[in-house]
Amino acid sequence: MRAGAISGRPSRDRERSGTAARRIDDSSWAFLLAGILMAMNAERDGRIPQDRLRNFSIIAHIDHGKTTLSDRLLELTHTIDARQMTSQVLDSMDLEREKGITIKARAVRLEYQAADGLTYGLNLIDTPGHVDFSYEVSRSLQACEGAILVVDATQGIEAQTLANVHMALRQNLTIIPVLNKIDLPSAQTDVVIEELESVLAIPREEVLLASAKDGTGVLEILEAIVARVPPPKGDPEAPVEGLIFDSHYDAYKGVVVYVRLAQGTLRQHDIIRLMGSGAEAELLELGFFRPQLVPVSELRAGDVGYVATGLKSVRDAQVGDTVTTLPRPAAHPLPGYQPAKTLVFAGIYPVVGADYPVLRDAMEKLHLNDASFSFEPESSVALGFGFRCGFLGLLHMEIVQERLEREFGQELIASAPSVEYRVVLINNQGLVTVDNPSKMPNAGEIEEIQEPWVKLSVVSPSNFIGTLMELATNRRGSFLGMEYLDPQRVLLTFELPLGEVIVDFYDQLKSRTQGYASMDYEEAGYRAANLVKVDVLVAGEPVDALSVIVHRDRAQPVGRELVHRLRGLIPRQMFEIAIQAAIGSTVIARESVAAMRKNVLAKCYGGDISRKKKLLEKQKEGKQRMKRVGSVEIPQEAFLAVLRMDDV
Amino acid sequence: MSKPRPPVALYLHLPFCLARCPYCDFVVYAGGDARGPRARTEHLYAAVARELELRADALDGRFGRPDVGGPREPLRSVYFGGGTPSLVPVEWLERLLAVVRDRYGVVSDAEVTLEANPGPEERGDPAAFRRVGFTRISFGAQSLDEGELRRLGRRHSPDDVAAAVAGARAAGIGSVNLDLLYDVPGQSLAAWETTLQAALALRPDHLSLYALTLDDPDAEGITGREGDHLPTPPGARRWRERARLEQDEDRAADQYGLATDLLAAEGWRGYEISNWSRPGHESRHNLAYWERRPYEAVGPGAHAFDGVVRRWNAATKDPYIAALLPAQGAAAEPPGGRETITPETATSERIILALRLDVGVPAAWADRSPLADSREWAESAGLLESMEVGGEARLRLTLRGRLLSNELFARLV
Ligand SMILES: Nc1nc2c(ncn2[C@@H]2O[C@H](COP(=O)(O)OP(=O)(O)OP(=O)(O)O)[C@@H](O)[C@H]2O)c(=O)[nH]1
Ligand code: SF4
Ligand SMILES: [Mg+2]
Repeated sequence: MRAGAISGRPSRDRERSGTAARRIDDSSWAFLLAGILMAMNAERDGRIPQDRLRNFSIIAHIDHGKTTLSDRLLELTHTIDARQMTSQVLDSMDLEREKGITIKARAVRLEYQAADGLTYGLNLIDTPGHVDFSYEVSRSLQACEGAILVVDATQGIEAQTLANVHMALRQNLTIIPVLNKIDLPSAQTDVVIEELESVLAIPREEVLLASAKDGTGVLEILEAIVARVPPPKGDPEAPVEGLIFDSHYDAYKGVVVYVRLAQGTLRQHDIIRLMGSGAEAELLELGFFRPQLVPVSELRAGDVGYVATGLKSVRDAQVGDTVTTLPRPAAHPLPGYQPAKTLVFAGIYPVVGADYPVLRDAMEKLHLNDASFSFEPESSVALGFGFRCGFLGLLHMEIVQERLEREFGQELIASAPSVEYRVVLINNQGLVTVDNPSKMPNAGEIEEIQEPWVKLSVVSPSNFIGTLMELATNRRGSFLGMEYLDPQRVLLTFELPLGEVIVDFYDQLKSRTQGYASMDYEEAGYRAANLVKVDVLVAGEPVDALSVIVHRDRAQPVGRELVHRLRGLIPRQMFEIAIQAAIGSTVIARESVAAMRKNVLAKCYGGDISRKKKLLEKQKEGKQRMKRVGSVEIPQEAFLAVLRMDDV
Repeated sequence: MSKPRPPVALYLHLPFCLARCPYCDFVVYAGGDARGPRARTEHLYAAVARELELRADALDGRFGRPDVGGPREPLRSVYFGGGTPSLVPVEWLERLLAVVRDRYGVVSDAEVTLEANPGPEERGDPAAFRRVGFTRISFGAQSLDEGELRRLGRRHSPDDVAAAVAGARAAGIGSVNLDLLYDVPGQSLAAWETTLQAALALRPDHLSLYALTLDDPDAEGITGREGDHLPTPPGARRWRERARLEQDEDRAADQYGLATDLLAAEGWRGYEISNWSRPGHESRHNLAYWERRPYEAVGPGAHAFDGVVRRWNAATKDPYIAALLPAQGAAAEPPGGRETITPETATSERIILALRLDVGVPAAWADRSPLADSREWAESAGLLESMEVGGEARLRLTLRGRLLSNELFARLV
């Protein structure tokens, strides 16, 4: 299901060829000009007065064109060398390019000579659109006074459009609404303007029309930023207060923190202090994102930039901490961020047990660049030593896993995602939270299990209302309300257990609406539920990684399915193996894997000896990679395959 | 560390077949690659003859000329394998054997085997084979069931097998083997028994019973330029994928058990996992492999072993010919590779190969690693049993142990 959760709607033809980039590439005079302009800009760096700074985020529903619009803004402001321009240039992570979506917010400093003849410093933050990354959006918005709200003119308002606008409004940001993709024949400009007006109360005069693809209307967007977004406040002479909104680790420069400077001025060789961790260091380098790191001599109140701290311990510099300087430190740290609320939990284990310390190091480093996942050591009978991790959603889980694998060269195995349950124990023994099904107390000790619920918003063409209602009901959901966005489209709201949403709900939603519906959800508290833990036993031994918590009505089918799948994946061994599903000590499903009867090399002559030896070595290696549950050897792949089948 | 030793056996690989069987992963050239000018069969035979000389030169240099009682004894066995060596013109077989006799020496009671296919256009003239010195013919019968033979893509019929065996007997060939396959798609236990009975009725001296094995040399990475195997043709690959679905571990185990019982009742000796013979007809040549004796080998894809180094020729025939029959200059060693066997690997190989045999290994071998570490496990799992031969305690595989031998062997490599 993961793939489905990431790809956009099926009807969209995503182009990544970068026509604009090529157009510029061809004319060599453009290099020159861009070069000169950049040099001039560099000279002016830091000297742009504060009233000519503009800090804004670009927000939108997934795929509505934020990153493409950023491309045009970078181009028009000559921020990027024409030779380096590609499409979606800010989606620089391999994963982002492969999946065609933004995962991490990216800040860029632009310098724009406006129609009034003055040069403005613009700090742009391109944000991700997927629901899992709304935490990135909220953090980005905190560094801004304005937000460009991009709405795809062919799609109109979608679930994340609403969610992101509300977030921006809550922070009192100036919103610049932009209808994008007006180059497409299917653009429904009038309908969508109508929608913006009726649903979000955005006056039609404020709406700008643009095509991020061909550049139409982009200059107007730049002018609107200059005209409408207020400059940042803050006193460059005050003690330094900088909020860390992101960071990464550099082998030479140590921890590099990304800051939005609220007060004061940061200069090279300043002694900085991180107010939360207490760590102090001499500032090695500071600069702007253009979008690569370009050193400058100072950052001033209102600026967004980076600071190389030289700190080697990633724990010393956490996102949300405040940077100040000595000897005149700030009196109080900035409020920081609400920690990200992790909703989905899973165990992550190294495929090779000996890699555990490497994985821990990788987790810490990645955490620096993605503070929104949590990790804690845990161990599993089936999988060995690993971490219980919390994620913002399933896509986030997949991305963290993939980044660990790629950026840190780890081979990993993840257990089935779970939500966090609250368990009320009998005899007033209190309440425990359980984010790992195998840690669920025994049924006899449980008074009540509570599970998290969410409020789900779905935007869909109205002809799918019936099938969406049915989907929500199948998932134990209840209908809250319906609102017409325009004559053809509705906003449906439901309440559902989160556990039902994180399975394959998104896939189902997409397939039932031919890709047209979008969804967003927010927490809606805990409720008591009739849940049970289903254990899977192999030869009588519970396989902790495969325990699941399900509604009692579904325990039997889920148990049967798990047992059946596992049966097909455990290779025959020297003896018969029973595979069972059980609730407590009650077996609810059983199958068995017959004993192996034949594993023999039929031919072994002169030419075969080396070859067969290699085959045997492979078998041996395969065995060494197996996990042992009691006396049964289970290939890692079997767990993986069962664990990957989310739709149990 | 053991020293290189002179060969006791010689293998010649002659790779041509009329058609390529879809399950076969020997080095084979078939169809247009085996007939007509493009096939360059004569060149290949001449190249093999040349390689025989070249390898003999090297042996002369290392161990001296072959000499009874000397450091380099004459060969005790010679094996012409393929492909279908019975397709090779008898003049060429004669010439090759002449080089062998001249340069390697062959003991008077040597076992000299020719592989043959039973079909009338393939089986050749057994009298001529006998005349030029072959003492043993091994027929690729595969099955004695008409339908199975068709499904296996074979061109001969059960009657052809009978005729081939009769012809060999009439020509005075002293030892006749039949290769048969089990775990064939669509082959019931009863059908297998019928094939076995029909084979026994032909009164062969030796039976090689192989589980149909559908490996993928491409996936194993042994089909490259220096590789000792050829790429699997797409048709064969598809055939194997389908056939694999119709194989069945349980049926195969039953078929193996049935063969074991049936042949034992007939007084045959199952002297190796896949080989049975009437007493005295064990294949001396193949025993050399399992006893890990040194052997020389020539021809594309062939492997040789001198007790320390395993050496192989690449499978592709044109580079083979080009190296040995250069347009000008001296013949060179054909492309290929080599592997030096470490003492630890030698030990594990020795055990694994010896355990394939019914006589097993001396129990004393289990005093040391790697067998020491697995003996108890293997015995308790019913794979290994103790016995005594001539007052010596030995360990051998049980019937279950033969069927599950890889489970033990994988612990020994
Ligand atoms: N025709 C047309 N296509 C556009 C326009 N803007 C963006 N696109 C295409 O829309 C797709 C999504 O664009 P992105 O810029 O990656 O969208 P995004 O909003 O950054 O997406 P996320 O970051 O994943 O939320 C790409 O295939 C773009 O080429 C436009 O103005 N016209
Ligand atoms: S006849 Fe024998 S060697 Fe030739 S292709 Fe068939 S199985 Fe292979
Ligand atoms: Mg994007």
